[in-house]
Amino acid sequence: MDSVKKWRIPVLITFLLLGIMISVQFHTQQTFLSDLSLQKTDDLVLILQRLHDNRTKLEVDLYNLEQQQQALSNDTSSGASLADNLKKESGKLQTALGVIPVQGPGVTVTIPADSPIVYLDLVDIVNELWASQAEAIAINDQRVTGWTTVFWDKQKMTITVNGKDISFPCTIKAVGNPDTLDSGLRLLGGVLDSLAVFKIYPLVSRSTELDLPAAGPPVFRYVQPVPNPQQ
Amino acid sequence: MWLPILGLLLGIGIGSALAIPIPGIYAKYLSVAVLAALDSVFGGLKSIIEDKFDGAVLLTGFFTNALLAALLAFLGDRLGVDLYLAAVFAFGVRLFQNLAIIRREMIANWLQKRRLSVQEAKKNG
Repeated sequence: MDSVKKWRIPVLITFLLLGIMISVQFHTQQTFLSDLSLQKTDDLVLILQRLHDNRTKLEVDLYNLEQQQQALSNDTSSGASLADNLKKESGKLQTALGVIPVQGPGVTVTIPADSPIVYLDLVDIVNELWASQAEAIAINDQRVTGWTTVFWDKQKMTITVNGKDISFPCTIKAVGNPDTLDSGLRLLGGVLDSLAVFKIYPLVSRSTELDLPAAGPPVFRYVQPVPNPQQ
Repeated sequence: MWLPILGLLLGIGIGSALAIPIPGIYAKYLSVAVLAALDSVFGGLKSIIEDKFDGAVLLTGFFTNALLAALLAFLGDRLGVDLYLAAVFAFGVRLFQNLAIIRREMIANWLQKRRLSVQEAKKNG
């Protein structure tokens, strides 16, 4: 019994301390293992390799996705610009055809009601206006287009434009540079001079804003565009 | 008999509760110190079994071995010599020797006890 008493205290102390040391060391080792700076070089190389591979893969992915995005945005923008161009082109053509209402500066030629005018005089005025770089012309709100007719209706005894009777006073509106149009009409020996011979004195007034109506759409029954051999 | 185990568990509990932070670079020295301490403890157990126990020897051995092992490992690192490995080797070998001796002594004790009890039974019978 005496020997047991003798070793009891020292052994208790040593075991207590050993326990503390073991647990502390255990904890330290756990943190040590998870600490990157104290890993084995081989492991670190492996980790680095894996991360590097991953990064490369992600970079490739990123590049592909960026390419895709760029392609998509290009598509949309080119599509939008194409549609824009087509719209512009179509607007231009419609304006040239006279199938849409237009507005702009120009001159108004008013022929008084009591003028002894014939339809050829109207044609002369219109021709002179076209020659003076008019961009759009309307006679009494009848738009002058490629298929416009100006004629004398023998049965009704009236001048017709596009088959519609012209009532007097007749107004011819032309959109273009007002100065050019005005001076074109007033040329020496020009249309106004010719009309003056027949005692017709049309009034020419410049306007900054004229509104011209649209003509009816053209009707094509036989005509067909010739395919462009280059396309 | 249960006192050492109780002490060990208590120490582990205290160590866990305190959670003393040891910088990573010193973990190696602490591990050598733990190994030295383990060696001392098994040495102590061996001496108990061999009836040659001395408390002073155990305690001084415990502290000096642990400290010296750690210090030598540290010094070895400073000098570029892996004294750490030497400590691990030396203490490891001693640890297993002690364990072997303890095992043999325990078997011997057990056998002796059995023989005595058999003899006594024969005497009585």
